[in-house]
Amino acid sequence: MTTGGDADAVFGALADPTRRALLSRVAAGPTTATQLAGSLPISRQAVVKHLGALHHAGLLERERAGREVRYRVTPAPLSDAVSWIVEVGAQWDERLASLARGLAAGDPARVQR
Amino acid sequence: MLEQIERELVVDAPPEEVWDVVTSSGWLAAEVQFDLVPGGDASFTCEEWSKRGWVEEADAPTRLTFWWAGDGEPATRVELTLDPEGEGHTRLRLVEARVLDMLDVVGIPLAGRSTSSHGPAMLVAA
Repeated sequence: MTTGGDADAVFGALADPTRRALLSRVAAGPTTATQLAGSLPISRQAVVKHLGALHHAGLLERERAGREVRYRVTPAPLSDAVSWIVEVGAQWDERLASLARGLAAGDPARVQR
Repeated sequence: MLEQIERELVVDAPPEEVWDVVTSSGWLAAEVQFDLVPGGDASFTCEEWSKRGWVEEADAPTRLTFWWAGDGEPATRVELTLDPEGEGHTRLRLVEARVLDMLDVVGIPLAGRSTSSHGPAMLVAA
């Protein structure tokens, strides 16, 4: 593990779907809790709490950005196992979400990736 | 460490309907081809990626196990289980596992760049 957190902390942090979603978003580019809360159906306070868990596990770094804290993915590469679980897990989350949407709409043909 | 991804979801449709969706083009990938028999070929194509694989077990509409791998990537095993839940609902369970180490131990060549020819061999070894 190259992240500084131990493996249990990392996998504990990644067990939560909201935290996985947050990590993928931060991986797309450094951002703040306020920006993240604006794009997710959860409060800024909840975002801060989840980011704290990801930071504690060594997956995210924080830096001051004016009055806010900006988060970025820890520059040390995630271990191969962790990045596989995050990336492939995110693809499954998308598929399951599209399945739930498509079948709820009662038309399987509407299930699209 | 066992590297695997597990998800579970209850959807508002009976298993037969869910089975049709998850085995058709548009869900696992934009273009999906499945020969739904043990050892059958499978291919998955999207704009961003493509994978090839083979079917380990297909028991419609309750259980589908297959292996897939992108070019040069280690093969992973995907297991989809569909259980009826109440009236007209389905509990879908998904497990994708990287069992590379285990397969290395038993000395089976892994599907990577090659096609599905390893499929039945893996079945026999398991």
